[in-house]
Amino acid sequence: MSFKNILENWSAFRKDAEAGGHHKYDHRWGMAINLDVCTGCNACSTACYAENNLAVVGKDRFEKGQAMHWMRIERYWDDADRQFPERGASFLPMMCQQCGAATCEPVCPVAATYHTPDGLNAQVYNRCIGSRYCSNNCPFRVRYFNFYSYYETWAEPLNQQLNPDISVRDKGVMEKCTFCVQRIRASNDKAKMENRAIADGEVQTACAQACPTGAIVFGDTMDPNSAVNKLWAKHEVKRGDYLSKKPKVNAEKRGYRIFEELNVDPSVMYLERVREEI
Amino acid sequence: MHVNEKDINEQIRWAQINADVLRSMENPRPAYWVAVAVCIAMVSCAVLAEIYQYNTGLGVTNLNNPHMWDMYIATFVFWIGMSHSGTLLSAILHIIHADWRKPIYRFAEAMTTFSLMTAGFFPMIHLGRIWNLYWVLPYVSDRGVWPNFRSPLAWDAFAISTYLSASAVFLFIGMIPDLAICRDNAKGWRKTLYTTLSLGWRGDDRQWRNFRKTYMLLACFLIPLAVSVHSIVSADFAMSIMPGWHVTTFPPYFVAGALYSGCAAIITLFVILRYFFRFEEYMTTAIMEKTCKLTFAIAMVWTYLNLIEFASTWYGHNIYDKEVLIYKATGPYAWIFWTMIFCGSVAPFALAIQKWRRHMPTMFVVSLLLNLGMYFERWMIVAPTLSMAYEPHQFYMMYGSIVQWAIVFGSFGWFGLLFLIFVKIFPSVSMYEVKEMVFHRRRHLDHETAVKFGRRARDAGTPATDTH
Amino acid sequence: MSGFKVNRRDFLRVLGWGGASTALVGCDMPTTVTLEEGKEDVVAYFMPEEYVIPGVGVWYASTCTQCAAGCGIHGRVREGRALKLEGNPESVINRGKTCMMGQAGVQAHYNPDRLTQPLMREGGALKPASWEVALKKIAEKTASANGDRVAWLSGAVSGHQAVLINDVLNTFGSKQHFVHETIHASVWQAVARDMLGDAQPVLRMDKAKSILSFGADFLGTWQSPVHFATQYAKFRSGKRGVLIQVEPKMSLTGGSADAWVAVRPGTEGILALGIAQNLVKRGWAKGEVPAKLKEVLAKYELGMVANATGVAGDRIQRITAALKDHAPSLVLAGAPVEGGENGYDAVSAVMLLNILLGNIGQTIEPAAQFAEARMQARSGGTRGALEFSKLAAAKKLDVAFISHANPVYHAPGFMKMKDAMANVGFKVVMTQFPDETAMQADVVLPLYSAIEDWGTHVAAYNGGVATLSFQQPLMEPLYKDTRGFGDVALSLLKQRKPKEYAAFNDYYAYLKASVSNMPAAVAKGDKNKDAAWNALLQKGVLETKATVGKFKVNTATVAAVADVSADVQFPYRLLPSARLGLWDGRHANSPWLQESPDQISKVVWGSWVEMHPVTAAKLGVKSGDYVRVTSAQGSLEAQAYVFNGIHPEAIAVPLGQGHQEYGRYAKGLGVNPYAILNPVIEKKTGEVAAYATRVSVTKLDKSARLVHMGSSDTQMGRKLVSTIPATVYRRTEGEA
Repeated sequence: MSFKNILENWSAFRKDAEAGGHHKYDHRWGMAINLDVCTGCNACSTACYAENNLAVVGKDRFEKGQAMHWMRIERYWDDADRQFPERGASFLPMMCQQCGAATCEPVCPVAATYHTPDGLNAQVYNRCIGSRYCSNNCPFRVRYFNFYSYYETWAEPLNQQLNPDISVRDKGVMEKCTFCVQRIRASNDKAKMENRAIADGEVQTACAQACPTGAIVFGDTMDPNSAVNKLWAKHEVKRGDYLSKKPKVNAEKRGYRIFEELNVDPSVMYLERVREEI
Repeated sequence: MHVNEKDINEQIRWAQINADVLRSMENPRPAYWVAVAVCIAMVSCAVLAEIYQYNTGLGVTNLNNPHMWDMYIATFVFWIGMSHSGTLLSAILHIIHADWRKPIYRFAEAMTTFSLMTAGFFPMIHLGRIWNLYWVLPYVSDRGVWPNFRSPLAWDAFAISTYLSASAVFLFIGMIPDLAICRDNAKGWRKTLYTTLSLGWRGDDRQWRNFRKTYMLLACFLIPLAVSVHSIVSADFAMSIMPGWHVTTFPPYFVAGALYSGCAAIITLFVILRYFFRFEEYMTTAIMEKTCKLTFAIAMVWTYLNLIEFASTWYGHNIYDKEVLIYKATGPYAWIFWTMIFCGSVAPFALAIQKWRRHMPTMFVVSLLLNLGMYFERWMIVAPTLSMAYEPHQFYMMYGSIVQWAIVFGSFGWFGLLFLIFVKIFPSVSMYEVKEMVFHRRRHLDHETAVKFGRRARDAGTPATDTH
Repeated sequence: MSGFKVNRRDFLRVLGWGGASTALVGCDMPTTVTLEEGKEDVVAYFMPEEYVIPGVGVWYASTCTQCAAGCGIHGRVREGRALKLEGNPESVINRGKTCMMGQAGVQAHYNPDRLTQPLMREGGALKPASWEVALKKIAEKTASANGDRVAWLSGAVSGHQAVLINDVLNTFGSKQHFVHETIHASVWQAVARDMLGDAQPVLRMDKAKSILSFGADFLGTWQSPVHFATQYAKFRSGKRGVLIQVEPKMSLTGGSADAWVAVRPGTEGILALGIAQNLVKRGWAKGEVPAKLKEVLAKYELGMVANATGVAGDRIQRITAALKDHAPSLVLAGAPVEGGENGYDAVSAVMLLNILLGNIGQTIEPAAQFAEARMQARSGGTRGALEFSKLAAAKKLDVAFISHANPVYHAPGFMKMKDAMANVGFKVVMTQFPDETAMQADVVLPLYSAIEDWGTHVAAYNGGVATLSFQQPLMEPLYKDTRGFGDVALSLLKQRKPKEYAAFNDYYAYLKASVSNMPAAVAKGDKNKDAAWNALLQKGVLETKATVGKFKVNTATVAAVADVSADVQFPYRLLPSARLGLWDGRHANSPWLQESPDQISKVVWGSWVEMHPVTAAKLGVKSGDYVRVTSAQGSLEAQAYVFNGIHPEAIAVPLGQGHQEYGRYAKGLGVNPYAILNPVIEKKTGEVAAYATRVSVTKLDKSARLVHMGSSDTQMGRKLVSTIPATVYRRTEGEA
């Protein structure tokens, strides 16, 4: 980074977020989660535990709010004032939204969390010093801190299940959903070896793969033919600047991103839940 | 009442000043050793707690997903705030020639340095991986890895280390003439120490000229630094997007709060030193009154900034900000909020009452109340926003565990210990400045008298018997 | 060279650097070199173990045994360790999907509390023994046993395991194979058999445009949850179907309902008849309505039904209209209906709706049963344990084999299973874990985990395609002193009939021979061809010829549904609700599943008592307070969870906790509602009426924070989960 470079390439840095901002993206991994078919069954969450070496913290630490569920299913009641919740429960799978303009990134004193060229909000465990500002500045509260050395809690031989593709985090390190970056990397390498582009559907996150109703669709939002991109387009959700963004052509389209007004440009689009009036 | 009371006894002999101050550095009484023991015990609590936390992990602090920060950060801000006292009294009042500061600035400056030394521990203690602390500094790494210069926490590292070194240098430079006095009167290891530290001070003209320039230069340097350091600490919060943290007025609010708690701490120590070291001749009621008035003014500025923050939140139509504000005032932390309002905005009115502010025990209690309020203020900045921000699923109310309490408790012991050591090794009242003050006051008196009687002021020379 | 010392380690290091190319020539190197007192093992990369490609995960097809649904899975194996399970896309049951229990299959395998060697009772205590000794003991003890004094109690089994159990019993001349499953659909199956002539009809949710479910938690615990979830996704796509869930306590499926209707517990059947009456009255019933049926329905006027069920009359009418408007529909009945004292009648009333709505043949299709009866799924309910416990208590059993089941924990308290078992002469328990039943055994045989074992599975509910699903080991057994279930069963058979089974060295050989020799009527077995066998294992499932039945609709069994009686002493009905995750308690030893919150209450690591705010207010209870739930059979204590999704007359205590044994993660956690069930038996099926227990609740002087996930129950005005009316959906994408 030199001053000359900034001056000469100012226009490149000044691209709006929709065009990727100052990042040069190869991919922009994204998700679409259809809340109408999400049944809140926890398959995704458990799959995440299995894939990503998530620690089980136990009852006491769970009570303290120190659980490590990267993917959590939030459950809300919308009919709190009625005698019965007549329209069921509202389930929300919530994980790191891999924001394009992530608020966690600028506040890390050691740049342990940064943006990758494939649009991921990466967390470098080795670099993390555990200041935890990133978590404080995350509107979704999806960053989880290793308050203890959880590797001690994997009783033999449970530790043999640990996925060798990713590390087991020690105490003092922040962690969060990575969009199963190890799977993305593996597919990337495979595609590279076979001298081709990654096909849509080739990479699936553990949650998307497990989801019994297929509510979670994962893919590259830069690939015009990807299922996820088509969904984003169909439901008129665009990346980019909240303020300059044009309103939807059809306001009734179901796509939305959570806390859109904060302009953090999440990579996860949710589709509204639908309810019939009976 | 004694409206025209003198700040200091102008007739005090210079040798008397030396004797009084040097006496304070000798022969610690049993109470002193008790105080030292108590402080060491407090520090031991913190050390044990930190060892436990270091070995087990930060989970023992009760921190959790929404509450990634808590008392450590609040205490950090508190001590940083405390450090503003010295700068205010030494640098700002020095520049504006408020010479009543002279008998009390030395210990205030020491407070600055020591509270910074205490504050500096907290960002370290609160780190998950304290052993990698140095990654925050822009050292030359063979991997070409730098800290993230966009992060307020990285700014913190620069700001605090700069401020600490600058204020330590300021404290030291300001002490050189006094250290020379000590040198001339000391024996044994003290002699060696003061000889080394006084850097060959002889008190000649050239040295005094250079000294004045350096001191003024450092004062000018320190003032923007003091303002910036607490602005940067406020940036730890203001640079975030969290409701209740992302507040434009935070920098002045923090600086005001810092000066406020610093002044309150000066009053506390003023009373203590005056009582224990029998410094009634130097730390006079008149100076206490002035300090109280200054504190009261700052308290009102702080209150005003508080009200501005509330009003802008209330009328700002940001639902999240408003929620946090209402939560602060009505939620489970409400008792802390209202205690803070009482201690911070109501209690200072005691300073406005002349009869009370002349009564040392009352002032001692009031100053402690003010600082309690300021501690709560810091805590109310940190915790409620984390309890309640955007994501309602992660709203959570918590209090710190015994481990946090032990470390926070220990930090007071650490501060006290440093201060106790300081008062017995270094002069806690600036001898040469008090002499200056007396000298100037005498001239001033004569001038006044001259004006009164319509005569030319006499050029009052230094009495020959009063050289040091 | 005297001054140049080469120690062993240096020598090997040199070999490591320079020797790679020479070693590839293929000298006879051992795969493992041990250095210095065996402290360090070096795996030679150029001579990998079988299946091991360092750094590369390999996927193997198998079958999930976490519940009886029989989902096909793929297991990822790397460096000889099974790491992750995913759904097998080839399986018609789950189509590549898994539920949370399936995901946790690896934790059943790597569980730290597994049994690692056989145990034998000596002087009152279980002591480690060798397999030889244990098997010899079994041979001795069973030598003289015969006839119906020998019994086998198991959970749901199918495929060759069922065949082997059958064969073992045959050698004794016994027919006493009892199947016990706490979570079952036996009453539904009995009603389907009686009214449709097919016990396991195929439910085509993908074809349905509306589903009216009376407590059938098909997304959670009913029959084949993953299968139904994949169907549900289709049901909700395109021209979106409408889900109406009628139940006394919100189940996972209820959480997804368009309309969740709280019904007075035990009166679901009355509501079903009320809707039937409404259908007939409004002339919307399809086909001829027999006069006798009209007679039965006559008294189920709206007012009476509304009174009995607590569901408003206009609501009943709207539900009826919705079923008619969104045809074809599908009406289901689940545990709360099946588990009533009037369970059979109530489910019959529900099934009647399917008939009146013309769903038979539309969304309900005849089953395609696996052609070989011996391998069909033996599914059962609570009747199996009931009969077993009666026989045992009456000292009519000399030998009992118990596998795939933990009856001492699972059987309702009134069966006094532990005491009953004490009256059995000799008990052999085959299990993976030190569970409550194993602790009562005379001999405990430690089994392989599902990930180490061979097997074949035929799903009880197969979604209309009869398949044989293969279970194959994903890795070497963790413990050398454990054995596969099939191997153990073969050992038992060899004790009795050494000649007939001499050809089979192990279960694998038996399985391979058996599948290869499958009659053509079942499947085209490519005989003795290894390639074909390997291809089969690769795919994991074998689609077979099926016997497809025909429906014989019969409404004669539909009768009036008895109302539930009120009780002053025990004012509430206890709902021992099941949850996807811990299931009936068999997964309580999985840390993942314990830490995964209950989907509705979001409570983790424990038991809780669900009650409606109205009930809670009456008792002066808030969430987190401890309460005592008392039935005529006993009482239990747990923390209250107060929420709206339960009928005020109901108290729900979830199944799954309250283990006295079962390893570190399960033991001593929470309570088991089955311990206080009243001995109410559904008369027509003989199943335990698990939802018919009445209880009283008292507040205890103790309160604590209920450990659960999440804080706010509402979205607090944020747009987190946004909901739109279906009319908007239809405008934008519904017709697509």
